[in-house]
Amino acid sequence: MELDVQTWLKIAAFSGGGLAIGFGAIGAAIGEGHTAAKANHAISRNPEMAGDVFKSMLVGQAVAESAAIFSLVIALILLFSEFSATSFIMVWAVFSAGLCTGLGAIGSGIGAGYPAGAACEGMVRQPEMSNRLTTNMLIGSAVCQTPSVFALVVSFILIYTDYSTKPMWPMWAAVLGAGLSAGLSAIGAGIGSGLVAQSSCEGISRQPKATAIATNSMLLGQAITQTTAIYGLLISFILLFKNYPASDAIAPAMALLGAGLCMGIGGIGPGIGEGITAQSAVTWIVRNRESAGEITRTMLVGMAVSESTGIYSMVIALILLFVV
Amino acid sequence: MQDLGKIHQIIIDLGFYKMTFNVEVIVMTWIIILGLLFFGYICASKNKKTPHLFQVLGELIVTKLYELTEDAMGKKLARKYSPLIVALFMFLLMCNWIGMIPHMGEPTKDLNTPLSLGLMGFAISHYVGIKTKGFKAYIKEYFEPMFFMMPLNLIGELAKIVSISFRLFGNIMGGSIIIMVVSYLTYSIILPPFLNAFFGIFVGAIQAFVFTMLTIVYISSQAK
Repeated sequence: MELDVQTWLKIAAFSGGGLAIGFGAIGAAIGEGHTAAKANHAISRNPEMAGDVFKSMLVGQAVAESAAIFSLVIALILLFSEFSATSFIMVWAVFSAGLCTGLGAIGSGIGAGYPAGAACEGMVRQPEMSNRLTTNMLIGSAVCQTPSVFALVVSFILIYTDYSTKPMWPMWAAVLGAGLSAGLSAIGAGIGSGLVAQSSCEGISRQPKATAIATNSMLLGQAITQTTAIYGLLISFILLFKNYPASDAIAPAMALLGAGLCMGIGGIGPGIGEGITAQSAVTWIVRNRESAGEITRTMLVGMAVSESTGIYSMVIALILLFVV
Repeated sequence: MQDLGKIHQIIIDLGFYKMTFNVEVIVMTWIIILGLLFFGYICASKNKKTPHLFQVLGELIVTKLYELTEDAMGKKLARKYSPLIVALFMFLLMCNWIGMIPHMGEPTKDLNTPLSLGLMGFAISHYVGIKTKGFKAYIKEYFEPMFFMMPLNLIGELAKIVSISFRLFGNIMGGSIIIMVVSYLTYSIILPPFLNAFFGIFVGAIQAFVFTMLTIVYISSQAK
């Protein structure tokens, strides 16, 4: 059976939309479950605070869900938009867009659940700090969403770019690689920055005087944790906006796909690792404010070393893009 | 929807090189610079013992950011570099917030603005590094822990520019694309103000602060 471009496009859009919300549902569900578990624990300790804890649980879960909502938006666009197929590349672009947001939402969903859980528990421990804890939790979970926002941006660019002047080979691989790079590399960064925000919320509830430094060091730790997601975004942009000569050979196409996969998978580990480093650093900065400078410096050096494997992946991806 | 990623440009052909000007970015940047100068003038003029509203606001911004700089850099460097940090933060904050006004666009949505600010921070931090440690000790750091790690240390340093500028650029551009697409899909009913509040005010302020914090950390880590 011979299928025309329009049919292939429909096939790709449906399967892409399914993958988008399918993958996207994983993270948010786990994160929200974690929040609810912590809220139950908190209420059992201090039932009088039940109303406040319940409110903050719902707010935290709503933020954790935003990554899944991004996936839902992409899935709906893929299902209901009328794409005019100017090129066969569009088929791959649509599929890749779904994959990208879906994978990108996993990490942020799981991550954003951690600070919300810690805020619920903290509220019970220090009822006077409730407002400050909620603010800190919101800032922390909002920054957790950054990797999924990157994935969403790449998806939008994938869907709304005009491919009519681009060569089919090797552009289809570049398009698929771009989605994988931004999507996969967002997983680690999302989980990692959630861990950092969790320890910051815990810290505020244990040491109310250290509120300012807990928020500041959390933002610093989260920002550096997300570096590998930014490398993933960079590789996606290069893959999408570079001009490729048309060729029928299979090697250049595989090099582009490889670049995306390499950066995407290589970004997962450093994200989680750096998150663990910063999580512990924030915990101890809060407990020992006099040595904050020393701890911050050790944290930065440790994160840089942990990130080096992500930089190796980026170097290999760049070599695959520009040299091979 | 069609203008996703389109930029108004003036291209001047010098024969040997084509100069490209992103008009909107330049205009917006000048509007922000003039606004900040005006704000600074009102804050600093007619100062009295019982402060007026703008004096309080200005003093609050300066002292809070100065404290942050002093915590990280120490007194000597902080006195020298805190004006830079305060100016950087206020400029970025206004850059990220101006997009909420209709027909205005964030200058930080264009990669050129974050990249040049990132390069500025990079250059300043390495200047501080050479000045405090001396050239020899500065170069020696690249060969730690082993001499063959030099290329990777170098790439690690350069990757800092990429990460700091793409973080700001990705967040602000992502926010504006999301606002645009969702407003288009919902025919601008109900949702846009909330999206603007979240991606404009909230994320904009956080990212301006993160960029400033990272610049402080880069400078202080070179000084030690």
